[in-house]
Amino acid sequence: MARSPRFDTRDIARIAVFAAIIAALGLIAPIQLPGLVPITAQTLGVILAGAVLGPLRGLAAVAVFEVLVLVGLPLLSGGFGGPSVFVGFSAGYLLGWLPGAFVTGLLAYSGRGALAWWRVALGAVVGGIVVIYAIGIPVQAALTGLPLGATALGSLLFVPGDAIKVVVATLLTLALWRAYPPAFGRRADRRGVARSAAPVPTSGAPATGAPAEPSSLSPVDAADAGER
Amino acid sequence: MISLYRPGTSPLHRAPAGLKLALLALLGVGFSLMPRQPIVLGLSLAAGGLVLVVAFFALAELAGRPLLRQLWSTRWIVVAMVGTQLIFLTPGDAAVNTVRVVAIVLLAGLLSLTTRSSDVLAALETGLGPLRRLGVDPRRVGLTLSLAITMVPVIAALAQRVREAQRARGVRLGFRAVVPLLVLALRHADDVADALSARGVD
Repeated sequence: MARSPRFDTRDIARIAVFAAIIAALGLIAPIQLPGLVPITAQTLGVILAGAVLGPLRGLAAVAVFEVLVLVGLPLLSGGFGGPSVFVGFSAGYLLGWLPGAFVTGLLAYSGRGALAWWRVALGAVVGGIVVIYAIGIPVQAALTGLPLGATALGSLLFVPGDAIKVVVATLLTLALWRAYPPAFGRRADRRGVARSAAPVPTSGAPATGAPAEPSSLSPVDAADAGER
Repeated sequence: MISLYRPGTSPLHRAPAGLKLALLALLGVGFSLMPRQPIVLGLSLAAGGLVLVVAFFALAELAGRPLLRQLWSTRWIVVAMVGTQLIFLTPGDAAVNTVRVVAIVLLAGLLSLTTRSSDVLAALETGLGPLRRLGVDPRRVGLTLSLAITMVPVIAALAQRVREAQRARGVRLGFRAVVPLLVLALRHADDVADALSARGVD
């Protein structure tokens, strides 16, 4: 959780919001697919955090989310939380989220100019699948005392779901890039579109409307919290 | 926000959060380094671990239904571990491994039951103090964490709004509904950042 002075208030607010988005994705009922393991949307949030915020801020967002889980808020999909999830056998996967978001951001943000779809997809595959499994499988094997090969075989069950998540995360990132370039911060500034493009989302929901009650109230609350 | 905390006045409730965190970490390492062979030693150590867990729950005056409920919540761990381990290992080894994991999960659950989240956060913030030399500002970390806590219900409300807007228009966006949610959330983040700046938080 290296949070150095280079994170200004804008970064801090985005990190906090993305941590909350990962939590909110846990509220979405898992997508049931016939014959496949249900997809919990939270790894999607991890990939998005890296791809949208970039490596360091994405890592920080996941770290903030996991600290909130650690201190006992039931934010994991299905209402789980507390330190017990970090000693159970999903511990390695949860820890893998941290470098997962970082690597996703590193690859998705590499290169110049506009976000390239293949960089985002590559980042999502490497950060969202390879890195998370590379940490999750050995930890699970060590905790259960099972051979590494058997554990790896068992986690193959999750690959179809994760592949779908990678596709969805890539599509969402690119859609967000078109709909709201300022989301990508300096990246979009460099491209010179941050101020010019009208922030109108591509889909039918009223994203351009006036701020809702909660959003107009909570900045004040949040700032109060900051003054304590 | 629903918390896992159960109010009480037992010694475990009153113990400082930092101490409990450190003890849990110590016990976690201890359980994972526990010898498994010979199997008699492994089994008796595992049984000792379970007795220790029950003793801790008794100390917290939670040995009754709360303990059973925690135990019930570990059922999938038990099913998955016993099921897969019996294929590769002897029943004795499977039992020792399962008990080790269940015991430490129960103890971690006990920490959530007896400690307020805010106390654990405060303990973590204190623990981050030495990192000040590395350029980590514990106060900013604390600000980010408390911001994220206040954001969770806001984001959930925004998601609700997006859902209602879809229903009103009779469109089904599926996963694409996340895009307007992200836009709303990130705009909210910018509003919060402006509010923080206006109040002199740099």
